[in-house]
Amino acid sequence: MSIGKRLARIGLPRLIINLTVFVVVALWVMPTLGIFVSSFRDKDQLTVSGWWTAFSSSERNEAGRLGGLDLMKQEGPIYVISGNVLEGRGGAVNAFGTKAVAPRAYKAGTEADLGDGIKLSINSDGAYRYTSTAPFTDDNTGRRVYLAVATPPVFTMVNYKNVLTGEGIGQSFVNSLTVAIPATVIPILVAAFAAYALSWMSFKGRTLLLAAVVGLIVVPLQMSLIPLLRLYNDVGTFLGVPSKTYAGIWLAHTAFGLPLAIYLLRNYIVGLPKEIIESARVDGAGDFEIFTKIVLPLSFPALASFAIFQFLWVWNDLLVAMVFLGTEKDKLVLTGALNALLGSRGGNWEILSASAFVSILVPLLVFFSLQRYLVRGLLAGSVKGG
Amino acid sequence: MKKLLLLGVAVAALAGGSAQAVDLKFKPGEDSKFNWASYDAYKKAHGDLKGETLTIFGPWRGEDEKLVTTVLNYFSEATGVTVKYSSSENYEQQIVIDTQAGSPPNIAILPQPGLLADLASKGFLTPLGDDMSKWIKDNYGAGQSWVDLGTYKGKDGKKAFFAFPYKADLKSLVWYVPENFKEAGYKVPATMEDLKALTEKIVKDGGTPWCIGLGSGGATGWPATDWVEDLMLRTTTPENYDKWTTNELKFNDPIVEKAIDEFGWFAKNDKFVDGGAKAVASTDFRDSPKGLFGVPPKCYMHRQASFIPSFFPDGTKLGKDADFFYFPPYASHPELGKPVEGAGTLVTIAKDSKAARAFVAFLQTPIAHEVWMAQSGFLTPYKGVNTAAYANDTLRKEGELLTSATTFRFDGSDLMPGKIGAGAFWTGMVDYVSGKSSAQVADQIQKAWDGLK
Amino acid sequence: MLSQIVSALIVMVVGVFAAAAYFYLTNRILDLALPDTGDVVKASRNLRTRAMIRPWLFLGPAVLLLAIYLVYPVIATLILSFYGRDAQEFVGASNYIWAINDAGFRQSIFNNILWLAVVPAACTFFGLIIAVMTDRLPWGNFAKSLVFMPMAISFVGASVIWKFIYDYRGEGQIQIGILNSIVQYFGGKPEVWLAIPFWNNFFLMVILIWIQTGFAMVILSAALRGIPEETIEAAVIDGASGWQIFWKIMVPQIWGTIATVWTTITILVLKVFDIVLTMTNGQWNTEVLANLMFGWMFQGGGDSGRSAAIAVVLMLAVTPIMIWNIRRANEEMKGR
Repeated sequence: MSIGKRLARIGLPRLIINLTVFVVVALWVMPTLGIFVSSFRDKDQLTVSGWWTAFSSSERNEAGRLGGLDLMKQEGPIYVISGNVLEGRGGAVNAFGTKAVAPRAYKAGTEADLGDGIKLSINSDGAYRYTSTAPFTDDNTGRRVYLAVATPPVFTMVNYKNVLTGEGIGQSFVNSLTVAIPATVIPILVAAFAAYALSWMSFKGRTLLLAAVVGLIVVPLQMSLIPLLRLYNDVGTFLGVPSKTYAGIWLAHTAFGLPLAIYLLRNYIVGLPKEIIESARVDGAGDFEIFTKIVLPLSFPALASFAIFQFLWVWNDLLVAMVFLGTEKDKLVLTGALNALLGSRGGNWEILSASAFVSILVPLLVFFSLQRYLVRGLLAGSVKGG
Repeated sequence: MKKLLLLGVAVAALAGGSAQAVDLKFKPGEDSKFNWASYDAYKKAHGDLKGETLTIFGPWRGEDEKLVTTVLNYFSEATGVTVKYSSSENYEQQIVIDTQAGSPPNIAILPQPGLLADLASKGFLTPLGDDMSKWIKDNYGAGQSWVDLGTYKGKDGKKAFFAFPYKADLKSLVWYVPENFKEAGYKVPATMEDLKALTEKIVKDGGTPWCIGLGSGGATGWPATDWVEDLMLRTTTPENYDKWTTNELKFNDPIVEKAIDEFGWFAKNDKFVDGGAKAVASTDFRDSPKGLFGVPPKCYMHRQASFIPSFFPDGTKLGKDADFFYFPPYASHPELGKPVEGAGTLVTIAKDSKAARAFVAFLQTPIAHEVWMAQSGFLTPYKGVNTAAYANDTLRKEGELLTSATTFRFDGSDLMPGKIGAGAFWTGMVDYVSGKSSAQVADQIQKAWDGLK
Repeated sequence: MLSQIVSALIVMVVGVFAAAAYFYLTNRILDLALPDTGDVVKASRNLRTRAMIRPWLFLGPAVLLLAIYLVYPVIATLILSFYGRDAQEFVGASNYIWAINDAGFRQSIFNNILWLAVVPAACTFFGLIIAVMTDRLPWGNFAKSLVFMPMAISFVGASVIWKFIYDYRGEGQIQIGILNSIVQYFGGKPEVWLAIPFWNNFFLMVILIWIQTGFAMVILSAALRGIPEETIEAAVIDGASGWQIFWKIMVPQIWGTIATVWTTITILVLKVFDIVLTMTNGQWNTEVLANLMFGWMFQGGGDSGRSAAIAVVLMLAVTPIMIWNIRRANEEMKGR
């Protein structure tokens, strides 16, 4: 029986809990929902109307263009240009006009007299008939007309298509995984050993070391890039190997993630019941056995939760990858490749929103698969009396 | 650890082994608007670099990267050099980190002379030589100003020519929808006085004349610096403008404050700008031009550089659906002529090699310019190119404006120290449109300048 | 492509395996080199030596990595902060004097204090509430993953998200920012949220709270699940109410974790700059130390002296947190 059920039984009304969680979750999801909906919208619509209006059919003012001289036909005494102003876009024309300031001057289906014997009618399906008593000239053909168009909600996959078929996306996906998996596993391993030593082994300078670790969390990453890259270049030249390698970036990510990992894991491991470890010691187990056989399995929730974060920090990182792995096409990580899809001046909201969801998939997958390790009761059997 | 390093190398080597066949966009010899003779001559002179690799770091991403690649392909084809082009959203950080750590690219292409001057003064760039600066002076429109743009103090404190200008942007443009003008009966103004009169007339007719957006994420404020620079060129002499960029003319000088106030005349009037003065600082510069195409129009005019059409709605035809006119000078200042403000990207050598020198030489051939001109978004001050190669009339008109300018000046904020031109000036402009007076912001910027050593 | 995947897999396995092998092998070697066998005196001396060496085998890789990747840059930074912009000439404390006199720096300190007062508390509070409440729901895991989502979104993505919230269009126009849309719907005047001095700090903080609550939630719910069943069982039998169980049993049991989460977020807040950089770049009085440092480091070639000085201030700011943590650690150890 879960704590939840028990608590529910003892009084807190379930409904209130449900509602509160629902409200909080709704608040949290709303911004993401906005960008999710936006990622399916046409790029020109994004900056014209709010994403929440995307579901309702709306009436918009648009500009269309009548045909040119090449479409002119003579029908008895009058000259006619006809066609369809919607040009295959969906929707229904409600009204039209010939001036941008008055786009709804005439109802659809009626005939507008534009003077000089020129008349224009536009039907609701967009079909138009533009007539004149004198032959049209370059001056009055190809003219702009303005339409009030009722459009049903339109969603498009084109943003995703652009992102997924972008150059080198597949390659960069593999690169990202190659960077992220070891850069998640290695720091956890290293940090877990260090955390154990800091909490259950006694040696001189333990507290000081712990303090140093806490302090190092604050070191701004940008500060270390230049000295480190210089070091990498020197080591690279010395050993005669390239300075920008996967091993290099793993170590960098490992080191940048370490202070937090050690700090979080230590605080978990130090809280493990003393009795278990003492009794194992009494039974003659060494520290290595205690760590691998008892502490590691018991720390699974903490390890899993840190793994989730380290993975997504590495996955979403651009700067460290660019500096330590390089900016060349074949080495780009996913964030880099998605970034390259944006123009030189950025601002392609549609690409940004679609790529946000492409790159979120893997971290979410990691979250879901590791979430089941955040289980209760690992300690239950092993503690006598709490 | 060494084992790991070696394995990493193995992977990198495996991944790097895929060279692509070079694909030329326009077949050499086929279209007579291109200067193929220059290409053939170049090929003869530099065809012996097979096996060399050239790393290029530039600002172009997305569509622009595809375009620059078409040009680079001609270079590879002619010389046999393998080109590795890369770019990054954080190119400013990237280049600072890479040069200081000792692993720069061969060629660094940047749009910021201020940053390049800094790199040159730290000894990270290789001078291109006097021949090159003379060539620019002779072959570029307003050649001397381009030479000045690429001339910085080196580590030894001596001035030298470091940066080859390639690809220009034109700033002094006002974009509009010709049909909106036609319907309302507005005429393209030829003087600043007319422009102001038109602005007032549009308001009287119940419209909104301008769309101005200064928003640009971390760079919010820069579009206003272009306004002020353009107005500086129209209210004072080019000499004062030059002094202003080096702080010989103080930022809080009345001359500068006057230019700022001229900008304020447009931007700080709720009736003159779409969304009111409040919207100016927060509207994204990439969203701002979309107001021109609203039905009914949210605004009639938008002052922005030649790159802005890439943010027009899909399917907008330049010359028909949208066009530009030259941001006019004051009739009351005939002595200032027709000043033009521009910007451009500068090519520098950060790690010298034969291929790097050959690349700069390649940029001296007309073909290196024409290939990009024939596609989109490229202007060049190089007088040796065939303007027939421009992809459309709008580009050609811009190109001619660039080569025929009586006064050409580079974007002043790019010439100022980074902390001013890409810092205090931006912040100051945001504060100005948010309510502070021109004197207050000018003092504030000058104070920041004084704070630099 | 396939060869890339295969070699990537091999490299990954080897990399991870090498790290694991280090720990296993060094421990084996230590045990073999200093065996328990032999005479009693030697055995007990070996035992003591082993106990002395082993912690450092466990800590070795961590200490080495931290020293190279973090301590060395910290020292370099400290030295740089006394040098000029090119790190060429020694300038004494002038970078620090400049900082104290710089209006931007003072503004950042003020804003940073605001951030430190609000964000860690808010994240921990929301994280705890969500962790506790979802613990008892059938759809709890689903709810948690939704709250976690912001953490997984890359920052460029997040900046677009908040653009669609805070965006401002002129009065009477169609708003594409949801906040102004709501305001306008209820007849209010739209605001340029990010340009309202003082309060705009809070609009930026909301973004970080939105992102970091997921972190607090995950860590806290892992801790909650570490509370032994029996403890709560016993309280239920004693007739405690849900409220009492929360305050008297749960909170004390996970108090250490709450402190950890609060500390972590406090330190992250000091470091955070990308939110400020992409949303306002410190304009409208929203500057924070980390962004100020970032600007001085890279913009226009940068000034390594000044940025280093700001970084040193940032690092000094964690000292109280460090001391508090040491105290806490020492108390824990005493109980041992």
